[in-house]
Amino acid sequence: MKKRILAILVALVLVFAFIAACADEPATEAPATDVETPAAGDTMRGIFITQDLSNASQAFSASEFERLMGDFDAEVIIAGGDVADNIANIERAIAENLDFIFINPNDILAIIPALERAREEGIIVGLFSSQPPEDVPDYPFDFFAGSDDVLGGIQAGEFVMTQFPDGANFVEVGGQAGHIAAVSRHDGFRQGIDTSLIIELDYRFVTGPWEAAEARSIMEDFLVMYGDEIDIVWTHWDNGASGVIEAVLAAGIDPTDIFIIGYDGNSVGYQQVLDGYQALSVGQSFTNMASESLRMARVMFDGGTITERLNWVPVDMVTIDSIHDFPWPEW
Amino acid sequence: MIKQETLERKTFYKVGDFVLEYLVIIMILALVIVTAIVEPRFLTAANFRNVMGQFGPLSFTALGMTFIIMGGFIDLSLPGMISLIAMITLSLFDIIGEIPAMMVGMMLGIALGSLNGTILVKFGATTQAKALFITFGLSQLYGALSQLYTGGSPINRGAFEHPAPLTQALSSGTVGDLFPFYSFFNYIPFTFIVFLVFLAILFIFQKKTRLGRSINYTGGNFVAAELGGIPTKRITVMIYAICGLMVAIGAIVAFSRANVAAPVVIGANFERDSIMAVVVGGTSLAGGRGSVLRTVLGVSLIILLSNCMNLMRIDSHLQETFRGAVLVVAIWLDHRRHAKG
Repeated sequence: MKKRILAILVALVLVFAFIAACADEPATEAPATDVETPAAGDTMRGIFITQDLSNASQAFSASEFERLMGDFDAEVIIAGGDVADNIANIERAIAENLDFIFINPNDILAIIPALERAREEGIIVGLFSSQPPEDVPDYPFDFFAGSDDVLGGIQAGEFVMTQFPDGANFVEVGGQAGHIAAVSRHDGFRQGIDTSLIIELDYRFVTGPWEAAEARSIMEDFLVMYGDEIDIVWTHWDNGASGVIEAVLAAGIDPTDIFIIGYDGNSVGYQQVLDGYQALSVGQSFTNMASESLRMARVMFDGGTITERLNWVPVDMVTIDSIHDFPWPEW
Repeated sequence: MIKQETLERKTFYKVGDFVLEYLVIIMILALVIVTAIVEPRFLTAANFRNVMGQFGPLSFTALGMTFIIMGGFIDLSLPGMISLIAMITLSLFDIIGEIPAMMVGMMLGIALGSLNGTILVKFGATTQAKALFITFGLSQLYGALSQLYTGGSPINRGAFEHPAPLTQALSSGTVGDLFPFYSFFNYIPFTFIVFLVFLAILFIFQKKTRLGRSINYTGGNFVAAELGGIPTKRITVMIYAICGLMVAIGAIVAFSRANVAAPVVIGANFERDSIMAVVVGGTSLAGGRGSVLRTVLGVSLIILLSNCMNLMRIDSHLQETFRGAVLVVAIWLDHRRHAKG
């Protein structure tokens, strides 16, 4: 038995050695300091490390990187996963001597040591859609491209103020409890309506991962509790707004009688705006975020410098009047 | 004096046994009474309809899970299965029509369930621990396949070319739509009737058929059941196939409740809630004992817990804490019942 295991191990070592010998590049990586400064026009290679790719927005972002990389003479590897996967993929970028890392992390603090190592190796680090924490002033990154969830919430609140200058009542169906995007959108909306006569009746976050059916259950309970008092529903995601609309329809209420707001600007939200069921979808442009990330990486790769490290991509306010001003989202 | 003490102890144990046996009913009653006092709107017809509507997908998946746990196994593949079945079924709506697509979805559920059972049998998994790891892996596999199938994008039912009346009926239809004679019928959701039909079928199967009773024997002692001539391997595949069918119906009800279905997200937490409903209801985690009727009690408690906490304006984070606590209490109860034999 032991001999058989030993034989398998020897065979594996031989196969590995054979593959390594056949590889174009030498097996041992050259130290980062020995790497020549790339000339403008060289292809840059990097990785987009994101959260779980089951999240439709992340999957769409990944596909946008793949679509746009040719425009910037870049090659982008896609990798999703949990915190441990995020760190493992940063290590992979270091080991493969990649030129850039775009990352939308699960835990922005947990990856600090790994990102520090990457930057020490000369890898360009771009934060994607996740802004650097304010309480870590020397966060290891070169630039950020994304929209601000707090600002999105503020804009949604301000939009509601213009629609209801004499005041109104709202309920909030929040995204995943504890999720930074849900917390930011919740806070932002309150800042937006701060000086208005808009009154909060109630709010609840979903306990599952942004599940539309749970949004429906919460809205059904809100309708029992507040009924006709509800003028506005502030939902943190367009798919959740879909659950809210189903609850309203099931209660025999015309969804156009309630001002339903969603967030994301995905195809579901656009369709609901077009149908007249959703009054507003606060849209995030992942296409612009991907494009900006690639542009800034290209500038740095070609030896240039970034003047503005924080690149805020503005949100789209998608209503029935403005919907045709935006391209139909492919996610 | 000693006699008096013995009598008091006996009475104490009798009360303890009673509470142990009927704790779920006591909890439901307590929840109803407290919520009705704090929030009188709890006892309105609209909320009655809400609660029955919210029986939805969980009630079906929990019924399926009952057979798995009674058989001495566990199934963590529910999230992946729900995702894959929902995505494939919805994608076929505009191609082959609503009802044929649902039939395909149900057949897929049976097929995936049978595959789960067959893999367990082939891998020699006769314990919950082995089943736990294998089905967890299968859930990841099915979830990933659903993402590959849709490219990670959600499917929006609102964008379909053809109407889907049955899905709409499952979403917001009531018995009153079919029988508009009594206004009371307007408060009974269509899904609740579908649930009752499947509950009756599964109850009869469990209690009145030899195969149904064999599940309990298999779960009670796998080796003894095998030695006793019960086809345990076939039973294992069968209980997973039953669970697969119920998961498929749960998936259909799940996507009917919202206009949109996102891969993986749609099935999230169903394995946790289903196991919780089954164990809270009183089916033994160790296998061999349990009933679909008990699961109904478990589902009722979970749904009422959610509804009541929402009506009592309890914070979302605290709601999760309560759910976790209920699961811990349920497992403790199961342990106590098991210890008592």
